[in-house]
Amino acid sequence: MLGITALTFTLTKALPGDPALSLVGERARPEVIESIRKELNADENVLIQYVGYVKLLMKGEFGRSYYTNRKVVDDLIIKFPNTFLLAVGAMMIAVPTGILLGFLSALRRGTLLDRSISCLSVVGLSMPVFWAGILIMLMLSLKLRLLPPAGMGDFRFLIMPSLTLSLPALATLTRISRTTLIDLFPMPYVRTARAMGIGEKRVNAIHVFKNALLPIVTVIGLDFGSYLNGAVLTETIFGWDGIGRYAMEGIMKRDYPVIMGCILVGTTLYVLINLVVDITYHYLDPRVRLHSGND
Amino acid sequence: MTKFIGIMLLSVILVSVLAPLLSPYDPEEINLDELRRPPSLRHPFGTDNKGRDVLSRVLYGGRISLSVAGIAATLSLGIGLLVGLASGYAGEKIDTVIMVFVDFILAFPSLLLAIGVSVILPPGVYTVMIAIASVGWASFARLVRGHVLSLRSMPFIEAARAIGCSPQRILLVHLLPQCVPLVIVMMGVRIGGYILTEAALSFLGLGAQPPTPTWGSMISANRVFVVSAPWMVIFPGLAITATSLCFNMLGDILRDKYGLKISG
Repeated sequence: MLGITALTFTLTKALPGDPALSLVGERARPEVIESIRKELNADENVLIQYVGYVKLLMKGEFGRSYYTNRKVVDDLIIKFPNTFLLAVGAMMIAVPTGILLGFLSALRRGTLLDRSISCLSVVGLSMPVFWAGILIMLMLSLKLRLLPPAGMGDFRFLIMPSLTLSLPALATLTRISRTTLIDLFPMPYVRTARAMGIGEKRVNAIHVFKNALLPIVTVIGLDFGSYLNGAVLTETIFGWDGIGRYAMEGIMKRDYPVIMGCILVGTTLYVLINLVVDITYHYLDPRVRLHSGND
Repeated sequence: MTKFIGIMLLSVILVSVLAPLLSPYDPEEINLDELRRPPSLRHPFGTDNKGRDVLSRVLYGGRISLSVAGIAATLSLGIGLLVGLASGYAGEKIDTVIMVFVDFILAFPSLLLAIGVSVILPPGVYTVMIAIASVGWASFARLVRGHVLSLRSMPFIEAARAIGCSPQRILLVHLLPQCVPLVIVMMGVRIGGYILTEAALSFLGLGAQPPTPTWGSMISANRVFVVSAPWMVIFPGLAITATSLCFNMLGDILRDKYGLKISG
């Protein structure tokens, strides 16, 4: 964690843009710029600034935005649930559909259905998220007038952004579930189960699907990074008031405390999710349990 | 199938290289008499908000997209190869430190990091290349390191050490050539993603600056007109999708052929 703060801190401080300058504009009087620089402690040694920042973090604070002078923590607390909602919405679309399509494709391997699903998933992976988002917006809200085009609000506002955000994850999941399943079919224990006369459905359900879950859970977890990436673009398009757009605005305005806060929260989340994935492993795969018991 | 994708890829590359010969108009020529014209025989992809020919702009945009993705991939490959070789061969503490750093880069939401880099440097084509490469090298390094670890105990390396080869010689003459095919395959797998990242960064206004046409910036500049003039947004997006699709399919073929286990 300390590594992350140090790196992002030096990174943001290395930016050539001067926040004091961009705050008051290039043409402000030098005295004004000087006074603001002092207020922001921009003249102090970078190391002192960093120590100051870590102290602030210890108190559970991220500092204040240079622009709005609001506490970054407060903003993050307001915006985080929105992004979370969006990510959950996207997952609720991507996970069941992706697994279903992948399984269907694997079970009907070689048929037209399989080929079209595989083809669609590569297309899904190759489509830029922002373009897909604009097309979805064009279709559903501007042409068919089914949904509000952008902004925040009730459930109807959530559908299009989460659909957009789910597309790349959906494509990845479909592909992974398909290959995982196909790898499992020739396994000796599956053949044994079949040879013992267990019905096709039972073999698939118990012996294949259950074992396919492990890699799929990994992908769901690891894909969280792609949700964060996608959130920056999706939230920008749909005017969704979440962390992605907040980060983007911070970066554009060189609002360092905002950038730091967003990156820290994002990375921490990512690490936490990985932890959850590891713990889930523990329950899904007895081998992992055994291994950690020996350590 | 392989042949088909090969032909597609080749034509995408050829069309971009030959853009100046193929495009019917100057991509930056503003024609106020023909604003937002729908696709027609004169302008097969229509014209944009400043009366510029969308087809010509899409063709020229391909040059930027392909060269940025290509150079970014080469940079990532180079850095990743060096770091991976060093890390895998040095082993022990150096390896641990480097790999922690690599994991750290991989753990970052990559687009945020790339955006961060493109903010430090002034926006432009080179910035996008550096931004993509500064994230991309990590996965190459990880792959090469794993390969070097498995090669290190091979008899031919031990033999080289036994006859007194210097570490530099072992690295460059014995290990490096073994890793080259691997990273080239990896490059084929990754490049489709780099095209998407380039598009995303220029969509956000961090890439090549106007009036230079890029696919991403064409979409972001024209998205307000998407209802009245959808062709201005649809064609550049189709170009991105088609190009990235070609490379992704190439990646799939390479992956299947060489049995590479690369996630994502």
